[in-house]
Amino acid sequence: MATASIPSAKRTKNQELWHEIRRSFWPYLFISPFFILYAIFGLFPNVYALVLSFKEWDGLSEQRWVGFQNYIRLFQDEIWWKAVFNTVWLMFGTLIPQLSLAFILAFILNSGYIRFKDAFRTAFFTPVIASSVAMAIVFGALFGTRFGILNYLLSYVGIPPIDWLGSAMWIKPAIALLVIWRWTGYNTIIYLAGLQSIPSDLYEAAKVDGAKQRDIFWHITLPLMRPVITFTVILSIIGSLQLFEEPLLLTAGSAGGSSTSPGGTDQAGLTTLMYIYNASFQYVKFGYGSAMSFALFVLIFGFSFFYNRFLGRNLTD
Amino acid sequence: MAKKLGQHTVSRRNFLRIAAAGVGGIGAASLLSACGGIGAPSAPASSGDTEAPAQLGVAQETVEVWFWDDSLAAATPGFEKLHPNIKVDFKKLSYDDTHQKLLTSLAAGSGAPDVCALEIGKVGMFTNKGGLVDLTSGAFAEGAKYKADMVEYKWVQGSTSDGRLIAMPWDVGPAAVWYRVDKFEAAGLETDPEKLQEMVQTWDDWMEIGRKLKAATPQTSIMADAGTEIFTAMVEQQGHGWFRDGKVVIVEKGTPALEKAVEFRKNKIDADVPWWGADFQAAMQQGALGGMIIACWMQGGMTRDHPDTVGKWRIIRAPGGDFNWGGSFLSIPEQSKKQESAWKYLQYICCTAEGQNAIFKNSGVYPAYRPAWDDPIYDEPVPFYGGQRAFRIWLEISDKVPTNLVSPHDQEAGDIVGAEVTKAMKEGKDPAQAMKDAQETLLKQVPGLSA
Repeated sequence: MATASIPSAKRTKNQELWHEIRRSFWPYLFISPFFILYAIFGLFPNVYALVLSFKEWDGLSEQRWVGFQNYIRLFQDEIWWKAVFNTVWLMFGTLIPQLSLAFILAFILNSGYIRFKDAFRTAFFTPVIASSVAMAIVFGALFGTRFGILNYLLSYVGIPPIDWLGSAMWIKPAIALLVIWRWTGYNTIIYLAGLQSIPSDLYEAAKVDGAKQRDIFWHITLPLMRPVITFTVILSIIGSLQLFEEPLLLTAGSAGGSSTSPGGTDQAGLTTLMYIYNASFQYVKFGYGSAMSFALFVLIFGFSFFYNRFLGRNLTD
Repeated sequence: MAKKLGQHTVSRRNFLRIAAAGVGGIGAASLLSACGGIGAPSAPASSGDTEAPAQLGVAQETVEVWFWDDSLAAATPGFEKLHPNIKVDFKKLSYDDTHQKLLTSLAAGSGAPDVCALEIGKVGMFTNKGGLVDLTSGAFAEGAKYKADMVEYKWVQGSTSDGRLIAMPWDVGPAAVWYRVDKFEAAGLETDPEKLQEMVQTWDDWMEIGRKLKAATPQTSIMADAGTEIFTAMVEQQGHGWFRDGKVVIVEKGTPALEKAVEFRKNKIDADVPWWGADFQAAMQQGALGGMIIACWMQGGMTRDHPDTVGKWRIIRAPGGDFNWGGSFLSIPEQSKKQESAWKYLQYICCTAEGQNAIFKNSGVYPAYRPAWDDPIYDEPVPFYGGQRAFRIWLEISDKVPTNLVSPHDQEAGDIVGAEVTKAMKEGKDPAQAMKDAQETLLKQVPGLSA
């Protein structure tokens, strides 16, 4: 709102503010739905969760103030650290292959050597909108140890069956494969949009100057794509640190105990968000769950900030 | 019976969790279907066509009921006929939603239904707190008289440590040892259930039979996953859960069970195929499973997903004692303004032979209410079990299940134990050490517990 205030010595600060609001009554009214909705559905839950993270609450009994105890417990909770390790592993394990693959696919799609571009674009994007139930069934059939398609194919090249979902060692690669399959197309579309926004006269000028295809890629395409790359990296960092659905799909049916083992064998596929969900809604420890949520927030903020500060910006500058 | 799916057991619950989250799960379809009807296809009366002829001049009251399976609706017409001024508004929620929304509305003080179902894996969450009425005192005092009619362990599971009954027993989940007659015949093993029952006195006897089965027909195993089946059986034979008299008993209950399960695995008796997943369905499809250890509700899932096995299954009682796997309760929230009608409804469902058997005949949900067992249907030969009179056996099993109080920490304990079980079964960890670690982890996770 660019309403210039009228300085007046007589008015107190409050009056001044009030005056301003009245002057801009209609504009404020029109933008108010956002602030009202945000306050109800965004601000309030967040503030309440922050307050809750200093309390102990099982949903029904009285809330009890426990200070920083939840946060202290967090640091000593081996399951939490295991979940953090798994999540960070999955972040690196999915981010790099997924984004490189997406870039290559987008580059090929944009190159002009390909026909039926629309068909490919649709095909790549389909996994993003695929139903989770279907995904779970298909990937369950893929990763089955005894009767899985993947192991069947591996047997042709003499590789013994891999216990994809049942062993602590292979569950993370299996989750990573699912994540990569699901989100590569999404990033491909973003990259494709980025590639198409590069003005073609730049390429033409380079060609006229005798630049080779490789030089054009390194010196024109890549630098101009850096903002887009930064965008997808940040999105992927946020997304993969909040990984929930994919590991849940793959580990839910594979537990080998009479009781659940969330995250599969040795909790090797347990992500932070899965643990937060379990602690809050399965073990009804809402205070502890809230504390973990804020710890996860710090983690996400940290990784994003680090990338932006030390990698993203340097590249764009 | 989707509702039993949730058990305190492992993966089943997870499945529901997924399905509930709208995320689906591997084989979720089959899980959800596990609740399919036993005989008749369930044709639940929707609340729409159950408008009982309201008596003119009598005010109609609508009772809202939450449950995660259609089976409950089968009793609605009978109830509304009996109480023409009460209408039943049956709301089908997912398994997870039923419990979570109830918890939320109890916390918020409004929004709860008049009657809500609870599953054994979740009852513990509500025991230590307010929010649900005590069904044995005040306006519900006459509820106490049903104690003698209910199977004992269910009554205890619905009770709190201070003697309130917050959840009325509805159905039982008796579990037994299943085997396939055709597979046993092919391997030259005894197929008559009564003779086999005599031969199998201990789990080692069953292991021996499993070994013979595999020796004669190498493609067939006697169970899918010992870590689920043997472990659950041996733990539950000692009473439900990981707490006894308020103390953690993971080491005591879990160690022998896990040692035995590992022995089965090491001797390659089980197929090492995890339950409920795509691999399980494939193994069943290919006839790689000649047996399983599971509860009565599996009949529904088998009928739907593997109809070719119908008629080939027989059951014998588990060596070492009967046990339970799943089952549900009904409760009335304190905030309900129609408690009187709700109480009438709850009593009709849980505490009358008419209500219980209407549901059993429709969906094969076994009543916890003993007087319902007098119905001649329970003595009929069952085609699913090749004519074995299995209904009666299931009831006899449920009458012998050991009792134990539920705990608010049941689920967390189960998850922690589950993680250690996978280490022992899959990664070769020493079973005794695994259970010791599980106990220590639980004690660390939940301050105030003691072993």
